[in-house]
Amino acid sequence: MEGQRLTMMGNQAITQGALEAGVRVAAGYPGTPSSEIIQNLAGAADEHGLYVEWSINEKVSLEVAAAASLAGLRSLCAMKQNGVNVASDFLLHLAGSGVRAGMVLVHCDDPGALSSVNEGESRHFARMLELPLLEPSDFQEAKDMTKWAFELSEEIGNLVMLRSVTRLSHASGGVVPGPIPAPGGQARFDHHGSPRDLRHGPVSSAPVGYKHRLQQEKLKRAVELFEDSPFNSYVGPESPELLVITSSICNLYVKEALALLDARDRVGVLKLGTTWPLPPKLLQRHLQRCEQVLVVEEVIPFLEENVKIAAAEMAGEIGAKKFFGKREGTLPAQGELNPDLVLKALAGILDLPYQARPAQYDRLAQELAPQATQDRELAFCPGCPHRASFWSLKEALALDDRDGFICGDIGCYSLAMRPSGYGLLKTLHAMGSGAGMASGFGQLGRFGMDQPVMAVSGDSTFYHAVIPALINAVHQKSPMSLVVLDNSGTAMTGFQPHPGTEANALGQPVPPVDIEAICRSLGAEVTVCDPFDLKATQAAAVGLLADQSTAKVLILRQLCALSPQRKGTKPYEVRVDPEKCLGDQCGCNRLCTRVFGCPGLAWEKESGKARIDEVICAGCGVCASVCPQGAIIISEGA
Amino acid sequence: MITRGPRQLLAEVQQPGLCIGCGSCVELCPYFRSHGGKTVMLHDCDLAEGRCHAWCPKTELDLEGLAQTLWGRPYPAQGMGPHLAVVAAKAGPRLESGSYQGGGTVSALVCAALDEGLVQGAVLTGGQGLQTAPRLAATPEEVIACAGSRFTAAPTLAALNRAQAQGCGSVAVVATPCQAAALAQRRAKPWPQRGAAGPAELVIGLFCNWSLDPQGLASFLAQRVEPREIRSMDIPPPPAGVLKVETGQGSLEIPLDEIRGLIPPACGLCPDMTSEWADLAVGMYEGRPGWNTLVVRNEKARALTEAAVEKGWLVMEKFPAANQEHLLQAAQGKRSRGLSAALAQGLLGGPGDDQPKALRVGSELYKAVENGEVA
Ligand SMILES: Cc1cc2nc3c(=O)[nH]c(=O)nc-3n(C[C@H](O)[C@H](O)[C@H](O)COP(=O)(O)OP(=O)(O)OC[C@H]3O[C@@H](n4cnc5c(N)ncnc54)[C@H](O)[C@@H]3O)c2cc1C
Ligand code: SF4
Ligand code: SF4
Repeated sequence: MEGQRLTMMGNQAITQGALEAGVRVAAGYPGTPSSEIIQNLAGAADEHGLYVEWSINEKVSLEVAAAASLAGLRSLCAMKQNGVNVASDFLLHLAGSGVRAGMVLVHCDDPGALSSVNEGESRHFARMLELPLLEPSDFQEAKDMTKWAFELSEEIGNLVMLRSVTRLSHASGGVVPGPIPAPGGQARFDHHGSPRDLRHGPVSSAPVGYKHRLQQEKLKRAVELFEDSPFNSYVGPESPELLVITSSICNLYVKEALALLDARDRVGVLKLGTTWPLPPKLLQRHLQRCEQVLVVEEVIPFLEENVKIAAAEMAGEIGAKKFFGKREGTLPAQGELNPDLVLKALAGILDLPYQARPAQYDRLAQELAPQATQDRELAFCPGCPHRASFWSLKEALALDDRDGFICGDIGCYSLAMRPSGYGLLKTLHAMGSGAGMASGFGQLGRFGMDQPVMAVSGDSTFYHAVIPALINAVHQKSPMSLVVLDNSGTAMTGFQPHPGTEANALGQPVPPVDIEAICRSLGAEVTVCDPFDLKATQAAAVGLLADQSTAKVLILRQLCALSPQRKGTKPYEVRVDPEKCLGDQCGCNRLCTRVFGCPGLAWEKESGKARIDEVICAGCGVCASVCPQGAIIISEGA
Repeated sequence: MITRGPRQLLAEVQQPGLCIGCGSCVELCPYFRSHGGKTVMLHDCDLAEGRCHAWCPKTELDLEGLAQTLWGRPYPAQGMGPHLAVVAAKAGPRLESGSYQGGGTVSALVCAALDEGLVQGAVLTGGQGLQTAPRLAATPEEVIACAGSRFTAAPTLAALNRAQAQGCGSVAVVATPCQAAALAQRRAKPWPQRGAAGPAELVIGLFCNWSLDPQGLASFLAQRVEPREIRSMDIPPPPAGVLKVETGQGSLEIPLDEIRGLIPPACGLCPDMTSEWADLAVGMYEGRPGWNTLVVRNEKARALTEAAVEKGWLVMEKFPAANQEHLLQAAQGKRSRGLSAALAQGLLGGPGDDQPKALRVGSELYKAVENGEVA
């Protein structure tokens, strides 16, 4: 394959770059759009002699990777944008202490929040924590830059941040792979030197004065290298009417927009791959030759602000420029960009008549879409245990009748903010925040709050960040109940193993850490139920709500419908007996299709009866317990 | 007679606190459940008309429509409902001893109805301490197990719905007046679509002046005794004027005046003391412990009492005219208070009034209530 041009997904290209750099240890926590990087490295571990793990959370994964670097092995850590927040405390200290063998943190942002409940920016950490930042703009660069990032890291003795975005990580393009070094490497942590000896002494961000100065010198060295980096390139006329400064995948949008506008002879494009710290000489060369600048990047004006600061610093040499970007509203500061948005911005500045998309197109699309696609809410899968769990929790909260509510958390079950989970989640923030907030709400009884509070958490989330919150609730005697929706895997991101599973990222057997035992050991009362047993689950939940004396845990354990073990199997053959089905009459009023809402159930207008859509139905059989008429018949052994 | 849907039931009954928790709407469908003494809606239902609303005794109870349909005459300003006789009664020798509230007349009549094959089962309200436990009884032992009164409102009719859904044919119900009104609506407003729920074969009504809100009583008592210690409760006949609570630690007497605040607002709108809509009605016999007052309202009831006496289930004696006069006045008092309160709260409707109302009467009676002539 070497030397041949292959089509690779961005995350695969990053993996390839790391392998070509001779990475030995990789760790991360699953999070879209970053997950495939660790997954791919785990797949390559055997062949190339790597250690790869899915760590309990992003902070620990960074620590695991840092240990390898300090022991002389190149290491990589991968996470999604908000994972960097979780890791940031260690990141601050690691940036201060420096690393030894090349170490790269790949952080994948999600502009437009396609798979997130935020579109948080992780680029700021580079500026805030004084680390170099690289941003590949296409697939080849994703590979090449990753490889180079390790060299840069070793050159300056500090961690290098490499930022991808969803449209790079999850799209595919051409990559020419290079050679991968043979397996091997000797790990040894040298710690006998003086604390000021970066290669042989104990490693810490202290003495702070000394280390901080060193860190800033490392950054200066990075800037020197950035001045000549091939990852920064310029295309366009010698003195353009408008200079576009861009980075990341936005470069492709700019290229496309300029081609469509036929304005390549008027506009120059400075594509930056080294986006922090900015190389001032390079910038000066380009800013000198234009009067107007448009900065194209996604979400927050990070690049724009840094360019403006640099331009202000060199104002004496380059004079005043007119800037376009997000600050004055040429481009939006929320959501993804696309060629249309860039096109509109460019057409405006260049005063070119161009309609990004005829209005009629949108109208037609609106008309046609419903014919081509089914109008369906974003919903839990057919046979999803979460639907069953939230059904019972909904009924329990209604029975309790004190306006109780659930604090949500991050996972597939975050969908319970929406109709598919009956809109039950009333708060939704970061990993582990549901339990933490419930712990807080639970204390408000002394101020007259009489609403019972529950929190939900997935199994992976439980390990990641819920444990401290639960300990807090138990210790502070907060009358909350935590419902662990244990579907035995990190389902949302693709079934990565977590501390509760019996195999690690490399497929090797490891001791599973038992959620139930952890909760009991904390002194919390624990009940375990199968969420498909609606009656038992409802009764357990009613019990939790009724006894508001301490923190309690309900574990609802049932495999995810898409789990490797369950996928493709149908435990039950399910059908609707039209004789028994009451349809929309008093006594039922379409409970299964109108309220329960499993996509496996369909409402047939003509006959006024419910029907199982055999293609979609996963055969979990839960709807048979929902039907008040016993009209949904299940038979085993399909 | 007007019927609306479940959303209106919520708005007209539950939300303003007028639900008495009778259980009529419970378990007819997956939407309404009874829990901890309260009727709650689990999921939204958007039907424009439903049995929940049609049969609920606390909204659109059309007294005039019911009387026309079931009695064949207008609902009168005076009286205590149609009746053939008022007698003194108590259980006969065939009924084994039990902790009957009065003379055990109710239990005896239920046993007789079962014995005669008039019904296959009877929906009764058992339960201990603060709990009420509606259930279906089919044997004298099961009837005796439910003896005695629980003074909190109970979801008795949910057990009827459950029994009917399970295919139990003809059922008797021992009902408070509100529950008897719910059952009357099942006869007068039958549901056109198929479905098991419907009227009861026999309704044995109880006299009732008020009941207590179960959750309110629970929290009131929780401040005085450990709830788990409560064994039983009783309101002994006047002039005692107390609620007697038997606990593991002995008994506690709470003056009735202290618990009047726990009477649900729905009772204040209730115009019926003697279960006018039932086949028979049974109450205490003031001044004659061990006996009951029994109102025999129709031929079916007369036949049952005669058979019950003949088979040794029941003993009957004459009821003095003075007592009967007293009873009539008490019943009249409640009717007058209920209708006036409904009027005062804007919840009394006449014919053709299109606002939602709790009670409806004919135009003459409406005018009489307005003029304060119903007393
Ligand atoms: C809430 C309430 C208020 C009452 N108020 C009065 C009153 O003001 N004046 C008066 O004369 N009589 C009143 N009674 C009736 C009285 O308490 C006796 O039930 C009646 O006299 C019959 O006595 P008994 O010995 O025949 O009953 P038993 O043979 O002991 O049978 C009692 C029956 O009552 C039923 N029952 C018990 N609790 C309830 C309940 N909460 N709801 C529905 N059914 C129930 C049981 O199913 C049982 O079958 C009231 C009863 C109740 C339940
Ligand atoms: S059995 Fe019912 S609930 Fe389960 S997947 Fe099929 S339709 Fe959905
Ligand atoms: S009074 Fe009875 S029927 Fe009406 S809402 Fe309450 S429980 Fe349901």
